Amino acid sequence: MSDLYDGRATVGLVKTLVRMMAAGVAALALTGCGMQIPADPEGTLDRVEGGVLRVGVTEREPWVDLDSQGEPAGTEAELVTRFAERLDAEIEWTTGSEAALVQALEGDQLDLVIGGFQHDTPWVQHVGVTRTYTEVETAGGAKEQHVMLVPMGENAFLVELETFLHEEVGR
Amino acid sequence: MKARTDRFGRTELPERQQQALKRAIRIEWATIAFLAVAITAVGLVTGSSQAMKAAWIEDMLSLAPPFAFLLAVRLANKQPNPKYPFGYHRSVGVAHLVAGVALFTMGAFLLYDSISGLVKAEHPPIGTVVLFGQQLWLGWLMMGVMALTIPLPIYFGRVKMRLAEELHDKVLYADADMNKADWMTAAGSIVGVAGIGLGLWWMDAAAASFIAASILWDGIKNMKAAITDLMDTRATTFDEGKPHPDAAKVDDYLSGLPWVADAGARVRDQGHVFHVEAFVVPRRGMSPTLEQLMEARDGCIALDWKIQDIVIVPIDELPEEVGGPSAEHQSERNR
Repeated sequence: MSDLYDGRATVGLVKTLVRMMAAGVAALALTGCGMQIPADPEGTLDRVEGGVLRVGVTEREPWVDLDSQGEPAGTEAELVTRFAERLDAEIEWTTGSEAALVQALEGDQLDLVIGGFQHDTPWVQHVGVTRTYTEVETAGGAKEQHVMLVPMGENAFLVELETFLHEEVGR
Repeated sequence: MKARTDRFGRTELPERQQQALKRAIRIEWATIAFLAVAITAVGLVTGSSQAMKAAWIEDMLSLAPPFAFLLAVRLANKQPNPKYPFGYHRSVGVAHLVAGVALFTMGAFLLYDSISGLVKAEHPPIGTVVLFGQQLWLGWLMMGVMALTIPLPIYFGRVKMRLAEELHDKVLYADADMNKADWMTAAGSIVGVAGIGLGLWWMDAAAASFIAASILWDGIKNMKAAITDLMDTRATTFDEGKPHPDAAKVDDYLSGLPWVADAGARVRDQGHVFHVEAFVVPRRGMSPTLEQLMEARDGCIALDWKIQDIVIVPIDELPEEVGGPSAEHQSERNR
């Protein structure tokens, strides 16, 4: 084989990949065996557990109902309340438009946004979207696949929420 | 239609090359079958990982060289005719260009994509899937599928590299490069997804960038080689490593003939086979007979199966580009 084929670029690439793997293993070793995989780059799940779950709500019945006095109602609001109980967290509700809530989610001011979002939501470029946790048929016969919005790349938190929804709703 | 494996156009292949060609055709079909499965499997689990997306697009583009090879081999088998007097060997050069451009495009696209992901600090979200009623982090599935796509391309690449040398086939060589890019991409995406798992969001895009840079480099190298071959650069070995020894062999053989004072050949790579124009300066007073010229031609053809299409030109002085005296101060007209 020529030196072009096994060139320095290839050797460099392999070295870099090996170094990255070593960094990964080192990170794993540093954090100890109790490390959760996947982990949150920004530590959302750690912060929420035993702390505060900041939830953005935008009205869309029957998923989120803001008409009644006091706390938000609706199926998703109830699910989130139970999720907070499981994490031993207090809920801090924030109401607003979808755009305002998504912006807050991107800006690390919210941990979770609900409001009857569907899996083909256009916000997918900006935020993390859960797996479809329930599917309903509308009056017109179309399928609606419902999801919740979470911060981008906070994968431990995402997995925790999806696990909860999987157990609660069973999808 | 089954491709013939005993000849390239008018060039009959020696037994060894016939076997190599049969093997190459089989392994390219195997590659296509493997890629079809890999593209489906990786597509199902790709999700939001940059490196996974890179691997997926890479798999799709790696279909180009095998198809280019199979098509080129079929075309190269056609006999020369009045419309294509040099035969169809150049189809290999065109296929090589296609394969090179495929590599280049993929590398450029992926490099842009992953670097912009790094710059914008995109944190790729990877959630869960339910598989047979069990919930599972999708990252594990991604790493598993990618690990499965590593061994075969390593094997394919090694075999193709050997066959490429045997058959002097640069499309096979480019394809071997592509297979190398394939398994490296797979390894890189495992690193990237593992990084995401550890909460190191940048590792995915970083791994993808390094892979993309390596693919881009392969693309540039192959594209350059294909273009220079189409430009009739002097013939090189299958990997562009050095000038092909056949040119020197022809020169040595012709210079060794009793009636030849000096010889110099122009050899261009038609793809698989060479087209040779050999200039010979006869010794003073020893103009070659027709028999001597025919003998010289047959002698050259016997040097290597790749040499078939050869023109021998008796001339008073070698042209400069094949080792004649410098023409700086003289032109054809005032000599």
